[in-house]
Amino acid sequence: MSTDLIPVVEDGDEVVSSRQKAARYLTTHPHLVLIGVLIVLIILTGLVEPNYISVNGLRNSALFAVPIGVLAAGQTILMLTGGIDLSAAMIATGAAYVAANQSPRGALIAIVAGLLVGLLAGAANGIGVGIFQVNPLIMTLAMSGILLGLFTSWAQTIFSGSTRMGDFIRTLGGGSFFGRAVPWALVIWAVLSVIVVYMLRRSGFGRNLYALGDNPAASRLSGTRAWQVLLAVYTIAGVFAAIAGLLLGGRVGAVDLQLAGVFLLPSVAAAVIGGTSIFGGVGTYTGTILGALILGVLQSLLTFLGAGQAVQQMLYGSIVIGLSWLYTRISAAQ
Amino acid sequence: MTSLAPDALAAGTQAAWRRWLRRHGWTVGVWILLFGLIAYYSTLIPRFGAFQVASIVNNGTPLVFLAVAQAIIVIAGGIDLGVGGMLVLSSVTAAQLMEGQAFGVTVILAVLIVLGAALLNSGVGWIITASKVPDIVITLGSLYVFQGMALAVLPNPGGGTSEGFRWIFTGSTRGIGSNPWPAAVMMAVAVFAVAWWMGKTRSGLSLYAAGSDRTASYLSGINADRVKITAYAIGGAFAAMAGLATTAIAGRGNATTVGGNLTLNSVAAIVLGGVALTGGIGSVIAVVPAGIILFFLNPILTAMGVDPHGAQVIQGVLIVFVMAVTGLIEWRRRRQA
Repeated sequence: MSTDLIPVVEDGDEVVSSRQKAARYLTTHPHLVLIGVLIVLIILTGLVEPNYISVNGLRNSALFAVPIGVLAAGQTILMLTGGIDLSAAMIATGAAYVAANQSPRGALIAIVAGLLVGLLAGAANGIGVGIFQVNPLIMTLAMSGILLGLFTSWAQTIFSGSTRMGDFIRTLGGGSFFGRAVPWALVIWAVLSVIVVYMLRRSGFGRNLYALGDNPAASRLSGTRAWQVLLAVYTIAGVFAAIAGLLLGGRVGAVDLQLAGVFLLPSVAAAVIGGTSIFGGVGTYTGTILGALILGVLQSLLTFLGAGQAVQQMLYGSIVIGLSWLYTRISAAQ
Repeated sequence: MTSLAPDALAAGTQAAWRRWLRRHGWTVGVWILLFGLIAYYSTLIPRFGAFQVASIVNNGTPLVFLAVAQAIIVIAGGIDLGVGGMLVLSSVTAAQLMEGQAFGVTVILAVLIVLGAALLNSGVGWIITASKVPDIVITLGSLYVFQGMALAVLPNPGGGTSEGFRWIFTGSTRGIGSNPWPAAVMMAVAVFAVAWWMGKTRSGLSLYAAGSDRTASYLSGINADRVKITAYAIGGAFAAMAGLATTAIAGRGNATTVGGNLTLNSVAAIVLGGVALTGGIGSVIAVVPAGIILFFLNPILTAMGVDPHGAQVIQGVLIVFVMAVTGLIEWRRRRQA
C-alpha cells in the first residue's frame, strides 16, 4: 500500500540494477514464481527418489493433480465472484454414485446422469446464494450436509450393491494411451482448462465474474443482474465438481461416501496458492492449474519421503501457509 | 406540561423497547427456540427427566465452546477454519498426558493445555496480520497443521483422564449421568465472562470495532492487528476447552476425528446464533443456544421417527431456510431505508 504514495520514477535515465530488474519482472509475472516452485519440487522429489523423474513418476503426480485441478476450476470461478463451494466434494461423490448406479444402462446415460447431479446441486447453490442472498460458505456447507444425508441413506437403499463404475468411465478416469504415457484424465483436464481459461479471458461472462467480485455495486449499476451470473457460475461449478467425481470414481473403480472428501480443502488451497483472491475479483485459472500441479508433486514427495500421515498433514498445512504468504508478498510488491 | 409527560414517556419507553428488541431480538429468539424445542422433545419421548437434560447439556458442551471460539474470532473480523483442528489437538494432548494421573495433576494439565492453545492460536493470528493473507487461507493451513500434530501426539485412539476431571465436564465420574450442573455452570461462567468482556470493556469492545470497520477503528486509535491476535488467542483457548470437554465425555482421545467437520459445525452454529460472517455483529450469548440446538436437532428428529441421515438433510435445509429468511428481511429493511 505504502508504495502507492511514492512518486513513480520512470526508468529512462535512472540506473536500474539487473537484480532490481529481475525482481520487478517477477512481481509483474507472479506465475513464474509458481513455475519455479514446481520445478524445485520436482527436482527435490527426483533427489529423494531418482526413479521419479520418469514418465511413470510424473504421470502419478499428474493423476493426483487432476481431481484437485478440476474441483479447483469450480473454486476459482466462484472465488472470482467472492464465493466458495464447500459442497464440491460431496457433489463429486454424489455424481460418482449416480454414475456407478446407472453404469449398467450404458456409459452415455451414466455420464449424463452423473453430470445432472452436479447441475442440480450447483443450481440449488446458485439459487440460495444468488436469489436468497445466503452467505456462500453457509449455503454450500448446508448443501454438503444435505447431500451427505441423502446419499448415505440412498447408499443403503436405492444405490445399494451398485458401487462399481462402468468400464468406459474407468478408462476415462484411470486409463492411458501412447503406451501408458498420457492418462485420459489429463486430456479431459486439459480440454476443460482451455475452456475455462478462454471463458475467463475472452468471454463477456468471464468479465462479469471479475466485475461482480471486484465491485458488486458498480457491476449492478452497469446493468449486470448479479443473481443470473451467480446462478450460472454456481451451476457451472457444480458440473465441474461432477466431472471431478466421475474421473475420481473411474480411477478408483468403485465409489464410497468418502470418495472425494479429502480433495475439498486441497481444491481451495490450489486456487489460493495460484493467486486467486478469496475476496473476489483477482485470479486466473492458469495460476490454479500450477497450484494443483504443485500439490500433486508435493503428494508424491511426501509419499516418497515415507512420511507418516502426521508429518504429511503438518507439512501440507505449512506449505499452504508459506506459499500463500510468499505469493501475497510478491503481488503486494507490485 | 404534566399531561404530556406520560404520553412522551410511553413513546420513549416504546422506542427504547423497540430498540432493545432490535438489538437483542435474535438472542431472545434463539433461546425461545431452544426451550420450545426442549418442551416439544419432552412430549415426544416417554420419559423426560434429569438424564435427558444432562445428556443435552453435556454432549452439547464441545460444540458450544467451539462455536463461542468461532464467534469471538468472526466478530473481530476473522474466521478460523482451524478451531476444529485445535479441538482435536487439545483433546488428544489431554488424553495422552492425563492418563493415570491424579485429579490435581489433570487440572493443572488442563490449564496448561488451554494456555498453550491460546499461545499457538495467537501465533496463527500473528501470521495472518503479518502476511496479510486472508484468514480463511492461513487457517486452512493451520487446520492441517493441528490435525497432523494431533496424529503425532496420539497416533492411535486411546489415552485417558482422571475421574474427577470427567466429573468437571459431565457431572459424573463415568462421563454419563443425570447431573447437568457442572457443565452448565462451566458454560455459563465462561460465556458470561466473555460476553461481559466483549460488551463492557475497552479491549473487548475493540473486537467489535475492528470487526465492523478496520479502517475506522484504526483511525480511532485501535491497534487492529493486536485486536485480531487477541481474538485468535481467546478463540484458541475456547477451542481447547471444547477439546477438554470432548476428552472428559469420551474418557479418551481420538486424533482421527475430522477437525474440518467440527469447524463447519461451529460456523453453522454461529450463523444460527446471529453472528454476521462479515464481522462486527453478534453476541456470544446467542451462540450458546444455537450450538445446543444444532446438536439437539438429531435426537429430536430421531424421536420424531426420522432416520439419522434424514435428520442431516433437514438440518441443512433448516440452516439454509433461516439464512434465506434473514436475507429477505435484511433486503426489505434496506429497501425501506
